[in-house]
Amino acid sequence: MNEKQSAIRVTVDSKAFPAVADRPEQLVLRGVELEVQEGSFVVLTGPSGCGKSTLLNIVAGLDPDFQGTVEFGEDDAKLSFMFQTPRLLPWRTVEQNIRLVLDDEVAEADGKVAAILNRVGLSEAATAFPERLSLGMQRRAALARAFVVEPDILLMDEPFVSLDDPSADSLRALLIELWNRRPTTVLFVTHDRIEAVMLATRLVRLGGTPASIVQDSEVSLSPPERLDREKVLAWRLRLFENA
Amino acid sequence: MTLDNQTIKIGRIGRGVIGSVLSGRLAWTIVSFLSLLALWALVAAILQSRLFPGPLDVGAKFVSEAASGELAHHVGITLARVAAAFFVAMFIGTAFGIALGVAKGADQFFDTWLIFFLNLPALVTIILCYVWFGLTETAAVLAVIINKIPNVTVTVREGARSLSRDLTEMAQIYQFGTLKTLRHVTLPQLAPFIAAAARGGLSLVWKIVLVVELLGRPNGVGRQLYDGFQLFDVSMILAYAIAFILVVQFIEIAVLQPIEARVNRWRR
Ligand SMILES: Nc1ncnc2c1ncn2[C@@H]1O[C@H](COP(=O)(O)OP(=O)(O)O)[C@@H](O)[C@H]1O
Ligand SMILES: [Mg+2]
Repeated sequence: MNEKQSAIRVTVDSKAFPAVADRPEQLVLRGVELEVQEGSFVVLTGPSGCGKSTLLNIVAGLDPDFQGTVEFGEDDAKLSFMFQTPRLLPWRTVEQNIRLVLDDEVAEADGKVAAILNRVGLSEAATAFPERLSLGMQRRAALARAFVVEPDILLMDEPFVSLDDPSADSLRALLIELWNRRPTTVLFVTHDRIEAVMLATRLVRLGGTPASIVQDSEVSLSPPERLDREKVLAWRLRLFENA
Repeated sequence: MTLDNQTIKIGRIGRGVIGSVLSGRLAWTIVSFLSLLALWALVAAILQSRLFPGPLDVGAKFVSEAASGELAHHVGITLARVAAAFFVAMFIGTAFGIALGVAKGADQFFDTWLIFFLNLPALVTIILCYVWFGLTETAAVLAVIINKIPNVTVTVREGARSLSRDLTEMAQIYQFGTLKTLRHVTLPQLAPFIAAAARGGLSLVWKIVLVVELLGRPNGVGRQLYDGFQLFDVSMILAYAIAFILVVQFIEIAVLQPIEARVNRWRR
């Protein structure tokens, strides 16, 4: 397989939300063109409310109401989406939540569910209902669910917001571990600049109203450098100097 | 990790508290029941009328009807009619409710239909069914079903209107498909509404079935009540009424409450 093959090619000529009641029609995205190489970890950032989630939903196929096209490298590319909230089924146990995203034969075979639960540290909580767990643990379950389907493309929309720093750090470390073990194409939305530098191999910034891409930079940090606070802060300054 | 232990402990404490509340409630139930019985016996003793028999007379009638097998026969037939009408109406009503709650156009189109059937008196449906389809079992059960469906539809529609978009999107991303989505995403969200429809519905179905039997069936509790009325046999009317109340309560406690507890197990 060619390293440089593109996994996602999205073109949004324009995306508007129709007028409702007292609010006029709102043009959110215009002229956004983004091509994501296979295996890269692209972080999409920009001010709150600029249209990052809107763009991610378009890529995911959740919002078909836009002018433009979305194409994937493979026709039947398998998607995972880790949302801003865990979106677990509260009436199913953690284990059932993960089992449900797999085909029945896959779920029954070879202890896949148990393995991923173990990897994210939820073996003990497998039979618990999600709402009895902390937000951090619910997010772990959502992360496990996103990886267990072995996706070709993983979309993540601020998956670690509103966690305390240690929980966010350990989830990020877990994401990196899972990603190293099974590399996949990631499109990750965040407005946390440090998080952006720590994770990205490429950083894409949205800006303006309506939003378009205002910056597109490679982030060539080695894995150990990403855990080095000095290095990360230096890169953050460099990447966001004119922001 | 201590999580499991903790959950179990919380579970035990919870059961302990519920247990003591229950036993407190049980004591009250018994006191309240016995005083009702005493009041009834007192009034009967004062009136000394064949048209107002006391608990002992009614009890004797109850025992003799039970011994002859008449009681079980008629209650069983009524139960079968209730069950048939209940399940068919719940199934169709729920399907309509989901469809109308999800599809706005269909909802607008069928709204007047729904209002029409909701406000159609039960007695009218029953009479029309007997007139059109004859005094048959099918007509009897059909009349009950037609009475019940609109209530279920309206209740379930309310739930279907507020289905979580977040979870629907999740199911779409992970390609759940129609059946999996229905079973694991949609129906659990509708469970409280379906339970409400079932509850309200069961008590409605019971009462309509009695009327249906009274008007056009040769058997069932409703028919026995009618015979009791013709003979001015008040003991018989009360004996069947009590049998009826016992069966309804039994279903409530032994069937409905455990199902509800199980369905709500995940709530914190
Ligand atoms: N369903 C919607 N209806 C109307 N406007 C919306 C809707 N979703 C988002 N918007 C608007 O589109 C803009 C971009 O939203 P969003 O993509 O969620 O921003 P971000 O994720 O970058 O914070 C916001 O101004 C928001 O108000
Ligand atoms: Mg957002």
